[in-house]
Amino acid sequence: MKERMPNSSALMKQEFLKKWIKGLQIYSSFKKEMTIFERKKAIKLSADVAIASTRNASTHWSRALMSDVSTDDANHAAKIVVAQISGRKVEKYSSSKGLMMTCSNKILRRSRVASRCRRTRGVGTSVKARSIARKVVKNRTRVLKSLVPGGQEMDGVCLIKETLDYIASLRVQVDVMRHLAAAAERLDPPQRSIL
Amino acid sequence: MEPKVEATQPQFRSGISGANPVEMGLGFDEIHGLISAAPGTGGSSFTALLELPPPQAVELLVKEDFPVKPMPPPIFPSNIALIDRASKFSVFASADNSPESTNILSASSSMKLDLVKQEPLESDSHPNSSSPAVSNQSLKSNKRKEREKKVKESNKKSKKVVANEASEDSGEKLPYVHVRARRGQATDSHSLAERARREKINARMKLLQELVPGCNKISGTAMVLDEIINHVQALQRQVEFLSMRLAAVNPRIDFNLDALLAGEGGSSIDNSYPGTFAPSIWSEGQINGSRQHQYQQPWHFEGLHQPSWGREEDTSNFITPETSLLSYDSPANSASLHSSHLKMEL
Repeated sequence: MKERMPNSSALMKQEFLKKWIKGLQIYSSFKKEMTIFERKKAIKLSADVAIASTRNASTHWSRALMSDVSTDDANHAAKIVVAQISGRKVEKYSSSKGLMMTCSNKILRRSRVASRCRRTRGVGTSVKARSIARKVVKNRTRVLKSLVPGGQEMDGVCLIKETLDYIASLRVQVDVMRHLAAAAERLDPPQRSIL
Repeated sequence: MEPKVEATQPQFRSGISGANPVEMGLGFDEIHGLISAAPGTGGSSFTALLELPPPQAVELLVKEDFPVKPMPPPIFPSNIALIDRASKFSVFASADNSPESTNILSASSSMKLDLVKQEPLESDSHPNSSSPAVSNQSLKSNKRKEREKKVKESNKKSKKVVANEASEDSGEKLPYVHVRARRGQATDSHSLAERARREKINARMKLLQELVPGCNKISGTAMVLDEIINHVQALQRQVEFLSMRLAAVNPRIDFNLDALLAGEGGSSIDNSYPGTFAPSIWSEGQINGSRQHQYQQPWHFEGLHQPSWGREEDTSNFITPETSLLSYDSPANSASLHSSHLKMEL
């Protein structure tokens, strides 16, 4: 893991912007006329790929994101974008591992539920709050897993680590995009007829 | 004894800062960077807390035979109470656990001593008096072992060594995490491993709390998770909206690049802004309107670095167009740009 300097966010922003613009160029060379929705998708996709590639595949979420994009067969431009930006081929990200993980998770869950039932049967209402809290936490963890790309195959520790990184990267992405949008709108007020 | 402990703490910190802890997991160093950018005094205290306890324990309990000693020479505790306090710091990486610990520590020396392997005691130069020699020494041997492991691991969040070693593969750079069983809790390896895992999770959650705004005051995993989820969802929605906004601005997807290029490759810098700019700054008047769709040339980063303007600062301060774009977000002034707005704010 490279050492991060105090102005690492600035470097990240620059890197992100470069890669994003590169992706946009690829798109524009690929297809001349696009509807607004296609443009939006292209912009978003380039941005996502760019921000994922700033991590250089060192995190789960970035790898999962890249592989999701590049294995989406409906979108050829996307694959090219990914290949260009990341500089290397991105293969499907550990689907078999995911399957095994979910299987083993189910078994674990069953055994844990069973043991918990046995344990808490005669204890009384004092642990009810605890078990409710545990359920709530479990539910929310599940939601978080669905939000973070590639989250299904992560355990608790890994998930939080990845969430940390993902939030930081999302912030960078939003910052750069917001600045760009603001500047672009100043330069060139959007035509009302489109929307 | 309290002031003594406090007095030793800054000393440790200075010792620690030199020997950087290998980062705990992924985001530690970059979170350092992130948080130091943001108002992050809370972050620094937490990370300091995380870094602090093991080295402090190491230092408080002396041991001379280790060749590798990144810390300055320690101050010897001459009292069992001080040792207990020090060991308290060492066991717990997260603050939640500390109340639990205090009850334990007084009995810890007697409780687990039989379990702990007794190392042959070297000649101790530190003045340990008064307290029962056996418990004191075996406690010291605990700490010694712990420190030994720490020196080997050269890492941060280590716990105490027990004979029934619950050495789990933590999945990170550490080969072992040695966990001490607390008083009144199960000592089998499963629960120890679980507890280690839980403590890891709690530590990370603390980091997350500091990253997500507004999470500092919330206590409880469920609430914090809720906030985190909201934050991630909000960020993702923002990305969607922003990409929609950008798509709506201009029919061409790389519009802005051309406009930028036009600004750069182009010619006259308007007189509408003060001439003391760094040359890479373009003005709005220059670009507005006329340049939108006129330039088709492919856009290269390298090309942009050729200055065609009057003045140029040294190249290290060179603000490339895209970064000047990034710094330009003041909606106020349309006609003239001030250099203060266009400083590279990244």
